[in-house]
Amino acid sequence: MTGGGDVLLEVRDLEVHFPIRSGVLLQRTVGHVRAVDGISLDVRRGTTLGLVGESGCGKSTLGRAVLRLVEPTGGSVRFDGVDLTTLSPEELRRSRRRMQMVFQDPMASLDPRQDVESLLVEPMRAHRLDGGPTAWRARVRELLGLVGLPSTAAAKYPHEFSGGQRQRIGIARAIALEPDLVIADEPVSALDVSVQAQVVNLLEELQERLGLTYVVIAHDLAVVRHISDEIGVMYLGALVEQSPSEQLYLQPLHPYTISLISAIPVPDPEVEDRRERILLAGDLPSPAAPPPGCRFHTRCPFRQPTRCDDEVPALRELAPGHRVACHWAEDVRDGRIVAAESAHDPTAAGTV
Amino acid sequence: MTVPAVTLAARRREGTPLLSVRDLQVRFTRRGRAPVRAVDGVSFDVAPGQVVGLVGESGCGKSVTSLAVMGLLAPRGVEVEGEVLFEGQDLLALSSDELRELRGRDIAMVFQDPMTSLNPVVPVGTQVTEVLRRHAGMDRGQARDEAESLLERVGIPDPARRLKDYPHQLSGGMRQRALIAIALACKPRLLIADEPTTALDVTIQAQVLELLKQLVAETGTAMIMITHDLGVVAGICDEVNVMYAGRVVERAGRRELFASPRHQYTGGLLRSIPRLDAVRGGQLTPIPGSASDVLPWERGCAFAPRCSAQDADCLVPDLELTLDDVRPEHRLRCVHPVPPPGAAL
Repeated sequence: MTGGGDVLLEVRDLEVHFPIRSGVLLQRTVGHVRAVDGISLDVRRGTTLGLVGESGCGKSTLGRAVLRLVEPTGGSVRFDGVDLTTLSPEELRRSRRRMQMVFQDPMASLDPRQDVESLLVEPMRAHRLDGGPTAWRARVRELLGLVGLPSTAAAKYPHEFSGGQRQRIGIARAIALEPDLVIADEPVSALDVSVQAQVVNLLEELQERLGLTYVVIAHDLAVVRHISDEIGVMYLGALVEQSPSEQLYLQPLHPYTISLISAIPVPDPEVEDRRERILLAGDLPSPAAPPPGCRFHTRCPFRQPTRCDDEVPALRELAPGHRVACHWAEDVRDGRIVAAESAHDPTAAGTV
Repeated sequence: MTVPAVTLAARRREGTPLLSVRDLQVRFTRRGRAPVRAVDGVSFDVAPGQVVGLVGESGCGKSVTSLAVMGLLAPRGVEVEGEVLFEGQDLLALSSDELRELRGRDIAMVFQDPMTSLNPVVPVGTQVTEVLRRHAGMDRGQARDEAESLLERVGIPDPARRLKDYPHQLSGGMRQRALIAIALACKPRLLIADEPTTALDVTIQAQVLELLKQLVAETGTAMIMITHDLGVVAGICDEVNVMYAGRVVERAGRRELFASPRHQYTGGLLRSIPRLDAVRGGQLTPIPGSASDVLPWERGCAFAPRCSAQDADCLVPDLELTLDDVRPEHRLRCVHPVPPPGAAL
């Protein structure tokens, strides 16, 4: 990890534990869902960090906890040197101007009864941007131009747009206050395949023009790899691997990343027929009771006796900028340990 | 386990089609407004043991096609025309009772969302045995044993216990497996899978696709695979129909289609998706506009408004799906096809 002044976002041991309550009247807490369980990472200014993982791995909660849209239960988030977790509500509100979010479903995140102009002016009004209504309206035109929509769009309502255009409005709203950091949670997964590329390109263009820093949360590793400089892979609330984007595909080190990459269908029959696919056994364990030791050991095709079950692997740096949380990463990398045929599930496990 | 594509292709050449869809039209009528033509003259064949893909984006008519084949469209407000011949018998002409006999026994379907297609208040076991007792005439005991072995075959651990579980007690992947078990209970000759893995995580998707591949290879069931994911198509389909605005715009074998996509829409789709195995860097090449920017087929190619190769020639009314003279393995509905790789421009 690189330190120093070019780090915009510094997350340390971040924890978000949601209480599980039981009982009608007393609502006793009977346990916790460890949605985010001790994550540390840095995001450098002007770069993109991608977070991938399957549903329930905590990637969205992590994104929200960074902005304090959910309260972290432990750890710290430093944004440009300021610890967000200790800010008062008013200080937090003011600092939000510099960090914004783009959501998955633009139809659900845009008020259907406001026209585009009023949707885009709202954040400017809330943060009392200089210049007043006239300047705000001029800014709306400018924003629409930035995201590639005609200025006539200002008078229309969200339902009058296609999915891709609506996402452009969502992005315009996020950049309205000239933020430094934009957290995009599944920004393209609700869109049609042919339109996804438009939005991905737009995000990249805006980053270049406005010097934005992104955290892009998505389940589609191909999209994340395309857009990110660095990628963090999450499993059950923990970061299991972090690496420069190209490196992650060329040499994935964590068994979960290896399996994830091998499971993604590639639109090329030649590749699909040749590929060795490592199928994982079973399903994701409950984040309320993560397995002891390495969280992945219940599904890991490279699991070794006792150590994986008992000892939590630390995130270790194996190559510059490439960190992995696996006891046996070197042995897996060098082929000294090979994927086992799993006994749990005869039809759907082991190498194929 | 190797992919049975070669054997399937051989099997396909032997017989007559199992299912033959001829000029299928589905229109949704709306009071006081012009009807919406969701499916507009779709024809394709499925041979025994063959996996045929219907690929396209939302609104292209792929799901409506499958619902029409199964006779599952609501009778009101829908006009269906054309022929759906299953072993020579026109399904569109059958009564709903006759159709019900056929569904579940000869033709089965797996839907995208297993939570909405399983009954939430009935144990999974009952939902499997129900099919066996209704269509295969088994008694309670036989059906129970068969259900257990079915769940085991689709990779559900501890099937005896799982039979008593309700759908909400199963995970998403497990529910989809249960649904596949129900679909396969009576050894159907045709399985229609409508986005069967779209709601699942990638590692679970890989398990389910592998399972479908194996079952098709073992039982010789033919399959129609409906998906928007070209990666899924590349791994499982023998033949692929690319749909746009209610019509098939390109049809080719799996390898042929990906080696040399000929329709501008197919080519555009393949260029617009980031590939995990490609060298990183550079911008993606999106298809401009959105799926709502279509031209009515009677005025010209529906894709023309978004197409980079379009010109005045594309305004041909009702362009036909014809044999491609450059790559005869393709059927194509395009005036200016993508040049094959290596061809001089």
